[in-house]
Amino acid sequence: MLLPKFDYHAPTTIDEACSMLGHYGAKAKILAGGTDLLVHMKKRLLSPEQIISLNKIEGLKEAFSQNGTGLVLGPLSTAAYLADSRLIQERISVLAQGASRLGSPLIRNRATVGGNLITARPASDLAPPLLVLSAKVTLKGPRGERTLPLEDFFLGPGQTAVQADEILTKILIPNIQGISAGAYIKLGTRKALEISLVNTACFLELAQDGSIKLARVALGAVAPIPLLTPSVSKILAGVKPKNMDDPVFREAARAAAQESKPITDHRGSADYRRYMVEILTWRTLKNAYSQLMEKV
Amino acid sequence: MKKMITLNVNDREYDLVIPVNRTLTQVLRENLKLTGTKQGCGVGDCGSCTILMDGRPVNSCLVLAAEAEGHKIETIEGLSEEGQLHPLQQAFVEHGSIQCGFCSPGMILSAKALLDKNPSPGETEIREAISGNLCRCTGYQKIVDAIQSVAKKV
Ligand SMILES: Cc1cc2nc3c(=O)[nH]c(=O)nc-3n(C[C@H](O)[C@H](O)[C@H](O)COP(=O)(O)OP(=O)(O)OC[C@H]3O[C@@H](n4cnc5c(N)ncnc54)[C@H](O)[C@@H]3O)c2cc1C
Ligand code: FES
Ligand code: FES
Repeated sequence: MLLPKFDYHAPTTIDEACSMLGHYGAKAKILAGGTDLLVHMKKRLLSPEQIISLNKIEGLKEAFSQNGTGLVLGPLSTAAYLADSRLIQERISVLAQGASRLGSPLIRNRATVGGNLITARPASDLAPPLLVLSAKVTLKGPRGERTLPLEDFFLGPGQTAVQADEILTKILIPNIQGISAGAYIKLGTRKALEISLVNTACFLELAQDGSIKLARVALGAVAPIPLLTPSVSKILAGVKPKNMDDPVFREAARAAAQESKPITDHRGSADYRRYMVEILTWRTLKNAYSQLMEKV
Repeated sequence: MKKMITLNVNDREYDLVIPVNRTLTQVLRENLKLTGTKQGCGVGDCGSCTILMDGRPVNSCLVLAAEAEGHKIETIEGLSEEGQLHPLQQAFVEHGSIQCGFCSPGMILSAKALLDKNPSPGETEIREAISGNLCRCTGYQKIVDAIQSVAKKV
């Protein structure tokens, strides 16, 4: 499969990339790891005249902690980096877990977090973990910079709030105050190179008195966008579960299933997916809560 | 649009003028005649195009050759030294891990990247490391056996 023709640019600063993108507008596409863009171009779903690569810009490949505000992920951080980084594993393990399940080891060495969010696949392995971590994204364009919560970012399959002349420059993960834990489960029909049938991420944070201060669950592949489930947060907020087998987790899981909007396709039926949302949400919540019990 | 690039492949520098829409697989095979790197699916699914970029295995069918500039590229041709097969290559021969051979260069490079990072992996780690490389012939067991025979026993 051959790539269509295009012109190639490799700016060395974000500002330069922004002004190129501003100049070419919708005729141009940003290139990060290329694992989505080049596939789409080979299949002739896209034929941009101009390719603007971010890969010669320094300092976009890593995560660092920003005093006071939280963690910053560079948009070119690869899935392999996120899966293996000590910082990510220790501070926000749910993201490391999601990243470790993306594609194959070969794909993970190229696939970036920025590209993953902009592609906005409903089955993304990075979006649910980032949604439960209350991530925000910073976009830069000719009209300046703006930051928005990830939950306002996805609009539909392949559609996001990003304008054609904007670049995703940062992902921010706000500080976590109390004791917290997360969990991620991806369900597929095989172990590698698999598009999820259903995936679920959860994040729990405890208050001083041992009650749940914050609970967030996000689902993949069961709606047109990676989906946060506010009803789960409502059911669990302020609750002090007896242990990980407390029925409140099953109740929350049932609510997650009700919020999901799965479709039937060759990978699985809507009913099966909805039931799996309940089971997997239940399992991730129990897993995260048992981690919390070990920490207190 | 064409571009002048310098590629570092198997510790040799190559100056090339290439159309910018060429993938690294194409340039390795067509310009450098390093045909050990195979092109199967062309879209990241099969791993027959696996090469090492700065020591990490990647699908060269999804890397623009222009983007490989400034990185150290290793292909299957770079493994043998003075006519001596690399221990992994030798093990693949001895264990019957090669049938049609189309997946072998990629398999061996994925295995090499694993062993360079972790000299004594277990079976699960080996299977995980080659999970982006498909083989239609062997059923994988003989490939896993070959890699395990090279892994240091702990
Ligand atoms: C074989 C295979 C298996 C896969 N398996 C999975 C999987 O299991 N789970 C999963 O979630 N995904 C999977 N993917 C999809 C893909 O690998 C991921 O979505 C990846 O994270 C995309 O990142 P990238 O850097 O390769 O993006 P690119 O292909 O470089 O870019 C994707 C899109 O985002 C735009 N873009 C990229 N970065 C920016 C930026 N900073 N600012 C503005 N626009 C930008 C590009 O213009 C393009 O439209 C798979 C892909 C393949 C080929
Ligand atoms: S040819 Fe590159 S993965 Fe199949
Ligand atoms: S030996 Fe034929 S594909 Fe693996």
